[in-house]
Amino acid sequence: MEKLAENKIVQDLLPQKFGKQGQIWVVCLLAICAVGFYAYCRQLYYGLEVTALRDYASWGIYISNFVFFVAISLVGSLITAVLRLTDVHWSTPLTRIAEIIAVSAISFAGLIIIVDMGRPDRFYNLFTHGRLQSPIIWDVIVITTYLFISLLLLYFPLLPDLKIMIAFKEKNGKSLQKLYEFLGSFWKNKPEQFKITDKAINILSITIIPVAFAIHTVTSWLFATTYRPGWDSTNFGAYFISGAFLVGAGGVLIAMYVFRTHYKLEKYITDDHFDKMGKVVVLLALVYLYFNINEFLVPAFKMKKSEEEHLMGLFTGEFSPIFWFAISASMLIPILILVFKKGRKPKWAFFAGILVVVGSWFKRFLIVTPTLLHPFLPMHDVPKNYTTYIPTWEEWAIAGGSLAGALLVITFFARIFPIIPIHETIIETDSHEKA
Amino acid sequence: MRKHKIIQLLVVLMIALVPNLLMAQAVEKNSISLNLKYFNDNNITHHLLVQAKSKIDGKFQTIPNIPVQFYIGTEADKGNLLGKSVTNDRGEAIIEIPPTAKSAWLKSPNQNFLVVSTATKQFDAGQGDLAITKAKLKIDTTEGKMITAKIVALVDTTWKPIAAVDVIVGVKRLGGILNANETQTYPTDSATGGVIAEFKRDSIPGDQKGNITIIATVVDNEKYGNLSSEMVVPWGKKSVYMTNFDHRTLFARRGHSPIWLELLAYTIVAAVWSIIIFLLFQIKKIKKLGFE
Repeated sequence: MEKLAENKIVQDLLPQKFGKQGQIWVVCLLAICAVGFYAYCRQLYYGLEVTALRDYASWGIYISNFVFFVAISLVGSLITAVLRLTDVHWSTPLTRIAEIIAVSAISFAGLIIIVDMGRPDRFYNLFTHGRLQSPIIWDVIVITTYLFISLLLLYFPLLPDLKIMIAFKEKNGKSLQKLYEFLGSFWKNKPEQFKITDKAINILSITIIPVAFAIHTVTSWLFATTYRPGWDSTNFGAYFISGAFLVGAGGVLIAMYVFRTHYKLEKYITDDHFDKMGKVVVLLALVYLYFNINEFLVPAFKMKKSEEEHLMGLFTGEFSPIFWFAISASMLIPILILVFKKGRKPKWAFFAGILVVVGSWFKRFLIVTPTLLHPFLPMHDVPKNYTTYIPTWEEWAIAGGSLAGALLVITFFARIFPIIPIHETIIETDSHEKA
Repeated sequence: MRKHKIIQLLVVLMIALVPNLLMAQAVEKNSISLNLKYFNDNNITHHLLVQAKSKIDGKFQTIPNIPVQFYIGTEADKGNLLGKSVTNDRGEAIIEIPPTAKSAWLKSPNQNFLVVSTATKQFDAGQGDLAITKAKLKIDTTEGKMITAKIVALVDTTWKPIAAVDVIVGVKRLGGILNANETQTYPTDSATGGVIAEFKRDSIPGDQKGNITIIATVVDNEKYGNLSSEMVVPWGKKSVYMTNFDHRTLFARRGHSPIWLELLAYTIVAAVWSIIIFLLFQIKKIKKLGFE
């Protein structure tokens, strides 16, 4: 990184007002959210009948979306905690991006579960009648815990930046100034305050790793504790976590490119960051590919009767186009792109990131739905639409709305707070210069 | 001329009627056969069972939904009517012989029964009859877990032992009869009309007191029908009622999770949330430092 004067860094990294592109982006997201909200109102009024969820495919794209959100949220722990604890400093500009992705994703993971319930007024039953033995309860506990830890991990490093932003009273406007003062007016850059913050961040970094592993392992157990073809696996926890790190890293690649391009942050999110993050994605894609081979090759080799229909449906049957697209888009093609130095240039890395995220969304769909449509007992005397699952427009709208909502949270966060930690960047620049 | 017109009219009528006649052939009704059986249940109640069958597509098939009337005696008189029923999915209809038939029942040592089915859209009316000699089967036990059974039949006014009737002796088990030992049936002897069977099923599960029901039965005897007699004996293995309902298991209800799981889960939750609470206090501390 070039030598940058402190003031220049502050000016570069302060949150900026939406330009025309930003406004169009926000309006588009709000429109998608509005359509999703309308579809959800219809679902509330008419019940889950408006969806394609029936006796067999009782979990559809809502749960796929939930698993996707939980997965992508794991990136917070990867970038912030794992890389921090291993003393990897190049990831500093990416920590806040990763954390806000984690917070928005985990918030919408919780919301989409309520959407899937059909009757949100019965949500309290989960607490009044929930059983500690059920992985669903573990999921509720661990998601709440992860959200709190992620919020704290977002807040502590933000404190020194809040002091910097409070100084720009006129630029901020009244309401934002009030918000900054409410959140950080007590920060005076005192050494004792830094000491406590550093200690808190270290504690959080250590705590978030097992919680992050727990959150996705428990999510995998929602499936793996059920004896069904495709879910009956002892590998599921590790398989889910490796996939989660991959999709999260893919999401960070996209966010890096978008923020770098839109806010002109080329000096802070450099080609070197894309290069390193690209290598991380290749590694994670290879690990996930390894788990995929385990998950599919071993049962396919045995080809037990109960597994056969499910596996053949994925390999050559009705789900094969999505299956091979998901495998190629989320793993094979990104590996082929990012394994080369040229492929780790920003544009190619951005493209690979999109492939990873989109492919991973469909991968979650394939984890949830085909198994449900292949029960042990054959389907007899059921209406034809029970035997297939094609989501209705309401489901697509709600799922799309939730994705747009998560993007909206990230967008507004970047509008209000510096997306790259200002104080940490100054410190690192100084230490770089001294070195 | 008029003669020709009449012939033409007849030809037209013939053409019009022939298909109808053919159609009438197509909906011709099937005949029905009624097979009547008599049952003496533990010398307490008596019932009749009829099975309705018909030959359809070259095979005998049981016919459901056939209305049937049961009569005591040989005539289908109103005074002899025992009751009415309709055949079920297995083509069977059952009727208990009511106490009102007692006077007719006591008239003779032999008894005739008649069953008549009403014609339906698909089946003709039918009838079946049955003649039996009244008999009783008695069951008892002797020392050494021996089961005795004895058949007596009414001859004039006295009950006399009957020889050479095959008796099954066993224990009631899972809706069927499990033989008392390896022998399938025992023929009654001429002197006493009885059989003796050794009970060799020691490990049969009984109720909480070890009670099981032993049974002697005669099945489809041409002369005496179906006879059975039961007795409860404490020869079974005492069963202990076991349930996991209130135990702490992974599949138990709320509040009954295993202790190890509760300890593990609550410890983890408490540990992690203690850290979160500790960190919230750290924010308070930072705040305090800022205002000092």
